Amino acid sequence: MEPLAHEGLARLLQIDDSLQTPHVISREDLTDTQDLISGGTIKIGKPVDLPPKPLGLDSNKAPYLQLSEEIAVLDHASSLQPQKLVEIASHFRKEAGYSRLLYAPAVEPSDIPILAYLGVDIFDDLNVELRSATGWALDDGSWTKVNIKTKDLQSQNQEELERWLLKIRTSIMNGTLRELVEVTSLHNPRVAQILHYSTSLLIEKGARRTVMIRANNLSLENPSVVDFQQRLLDYVPPAKNMVLLVLPCSARKPYFKSSSHKRFYNTIKEVDNYLTLHTVSVTSPLGLVPRELEFCYPAAHYDIAVTGDWNASEVQMLREQFSRLKPEKHYLRAIVHAGSSSRIITELLRERKVDTIDTESEKPSSFEGLKNLQEVTRTAIAEIPVLSSKDRAKGEAIGLAKFQYGESSPFLTESEISGHMPYKLRCGDLATISPRVGGLGLTLTGAVKYASNGGPSVTAEDFKLVGDLFAVGVKSYDGHWVIGDQVVIKQNGKVTGVGFARMNPEEMLSMSRGLAVEVRHHA
Amino acid sequence: MPKAFVPLTQFVNESKSIPREHPLDQPVARWTEEEVLGEEVVEAGVAILRTRGCYWSIKEGCSMCGYFNDTVPGGVSNDMLHSQWEKIRHSLKGKRYAKIYTSGSFLDPTEVPLDFANDVMSDMADMGIEKVLVESLPEFVHPKHFNYSNSPKIEIAIGLESSNPVVLDKSVNKRLRWPHFVKVCKTAHENGAEVKAYVLLKPPYLGERDAIEDAVQSATDAAPYVDKISINPVNVQKNTVVEKLWFRNEWTAPWLWSVVEVLERCKDLPAKVYSDPTGGGTRRGAHNCNDCNGQILDALKEHRLGHGNLKGLECECRSRWEVLKHQSSYRRNGAEPHGYRRGFGNGRRF
Repeated sequence: MEPLAHEGLARLLQIDDSLQTPHVISREDLTDTQDLISGGTIKIGKPVDLPPKPLGLDSNKAPYLQLSEEIAVLDHASSLQPQKLVEIASHFRKEAGYSRLLYAPAVEPSDIPILAYLGVDIFDDLNVELRSATGWALDDGSWTKVNIKTKDLQSQNQEELERWLLKIRTSIMNGTLRELVEVTSLHNPRVAQILHYSTSLLIEKGARRTVMIRANNLSLENPSVVDFQQRLLDYVPPAKNMVLLVLPCSARKPYFKSSSHKRFYNTIKEVDNYLTLHTVSVTSPLGLVPRELEFCYPAAHYDIAVTGDWNASEVQMLREQFSRLKPEKHYLRAIVHAGSSSRIITELLRERKVDTIDTESEKPSSFEGLKNLQEVTRTAIAEIPVLSSKDRAKGEAIGLAKFQYGESSPFLTESEISGHMPYKLRCGDLATISPRVGGLGLTLTGAVKYASNGGPSVTAEDFKLVGDLFAVGVKSYDGHWVIGDQVVIKQNGKVTGVGFARMNPEEMLSMSRGLAVEVRHHA
Repeated sequence: MPKAFVPLTQFVNESKSIPREHPLDQPVARWTEEEVLGEEVVEAGVAILRTRGCYWSIKEGCSMCGYFNDTVPGGVSNDMLHSQWEKIRHSLKGKRYAKIYTSGSFLDPTEVPLDFANDVMSDMADMGIEKVLVESLPEFVHPKHFNYSNSPKIEIAIGLESSNPVVLDKSVNKRLRWPHFVKVCKTAHENGAEVKAYVLLKPPYLGERDAIEDAVQSATDAAPYVDKISINPVNVQKNTVVEKLWFRNEWTAPWLWSVVEVLERCKDLPAKVYSDPTGGGTRRGAHNCNDCNGQILDALKEHRLGHGNLKGLECECRSRWEVLKHQSSYRRNGAEPHGYRRGFGNGRRF
């Protein structure tokens, strides 16, 4: 068993040469026993025992999974209440561990993507057989009644089901399973509900993605998006007495690389004391993105259809974002130069009693717009005490470190901060800006300090670490992380490397194959 | 007594609720139905007395039984029982066959006092009733509970449910044991009573095929010791484990085709095997697709009254039932997708 990729709680596992999970078995792969209790066997490569049937049990009570040596079964997966299902999903690996495959019998094809997203490995074709017997054809996860009685509807549907699973596996590999689940949820209230309730579970335990979010109205609930917004809760701007400058987002990410933002920058650069302007970009579905967080995932990794209209739920999201950022507390005043979103942003800021100036430019990056912006900023920041670039860089580093490393962040920012945003910012010899990390990436020295400040660490067997760390070499772990976080590698009590976790904590111990830590620096 | 399966015991207790208040001087229900007496078909008078209810349902109860909903937790006084009887006896006039049910055991002296039972029996004998059916748990089938001074012929119906201890423990939650059942059947026969056994079809948690096999096996086991076997397809009664499973779609009521198959396979047994599905044709009772429910229920009734056999029943949904039966034990519960019996067709019409 070798994990090849993760997304959310889903795993793409290589079982043997020709078999990957999420996998669908056919009824011929199941055997039955004569007595009522025992579960028979299931063929996954080779036949393995299934756990006993859930006779006499209340499905609302733990333990939720039936366990055998190699298989954990989630019974009633097709009928569990959405909230309950998500609650059970949060217990999956605690009950089953990572070395058992999780099997959900008799589920509908349309439920398979969301169940895979929540961690189910094995499915079957029992419901497909029932549909075939009543003359329905499977097409891309949904059913169509066919009038002509096709003789081999069953085998045709089975092939289609195989293809559906292949699509799911490919999505996990490409990091686009979320999008597939969103598509299946569109006109399927059950999937939509499960997806809705699973947001916080996915934030807590789901693998961090590094691919683009192809956003739409559903993306307001994307776990990466919600996580980003929630982590802004105790965000503080780089310095006191700054002026908030709200700019529109750009198609190019990170925003500062876009032509429009370059033009904005060149315009305000000519104003004295322009460093007291704190640029925050307004966007959907993320809401508000402060300049120093533009590198962070997913601020640099999303794409959305631009309509220029803000619907009610997006306005509400912006309102909540402002209540997290508390502009009235942190800024002297605000300048809004956000084109078509200006009116809404101005309203929201005035709701919070912030002294707000709207530049009233329809086209913010046009010649007139920029001229307007320059004039407004000049008067707005004229009498504000000068902010040095050093102080500003320090403030930016503190904000970024806090966003990335949470409470243990002071270990980074107590060192000497040099350079400035975006690329040259350094925290002593502990961390440098890395677009790959999406913010401050730890150096080996930084890793030592991180580990002693409560950062997650993996203890490896005693060998010379030359490349990546694989699961077979992992001895134990300490702390908590989700896939994609930075972890420290220790050997013999000494820190010998730092990199990205590519497996869940417990999974590293359970697996004997597969990439555990993608190493960035080693000794 | 065999040991309880704790999760199911808890589940049963949590599913129960306190019955609402009922008028104590009224029987739960009374009606007439056609029944076989000897070789003839006669009108039988049926009545359900409102009593304290089954002692087992007060302690724990069975997973499919909701009859406790019709009981009076504090018990019903002798006076009230007598005034219930006054109302019942009118509807029994001129009948030759009577069925006196309680929501428990008629032979339990703490539920139906012996002297009241004695009065009722002699009254019925005076009215010219030839045979009376009462129900009881096997533990109360003892001669001292039914040696009435004057009575019609007694027929005791016992809920065997299944002869498989696994089903009794983990599905039905009934602490009945096979040797005890055999013993009380003998006791009843020795004391001049007939015995009718109830066998469940598709108790909770079981799939369609396991359910059929279990019912056939139980009927086959019981046939030598009893006079009649009634196959009772499980129906969904209020405030029971079955209802909870049914709400959660972890179990559905059996198909009428399953009833037909069980009866066909039991037709050569030494006892008469028949079925009168409670709630047949409804979503809470045994049903097929909407098109053939009536046809099959009619056939079952003819079969019960000895007029016909179950041959030649056909419907489009029979092949669906075959497919489901084939895979049911792999599904690991007693459920099937919504709308399968109708072929997922003709969805909701407004």
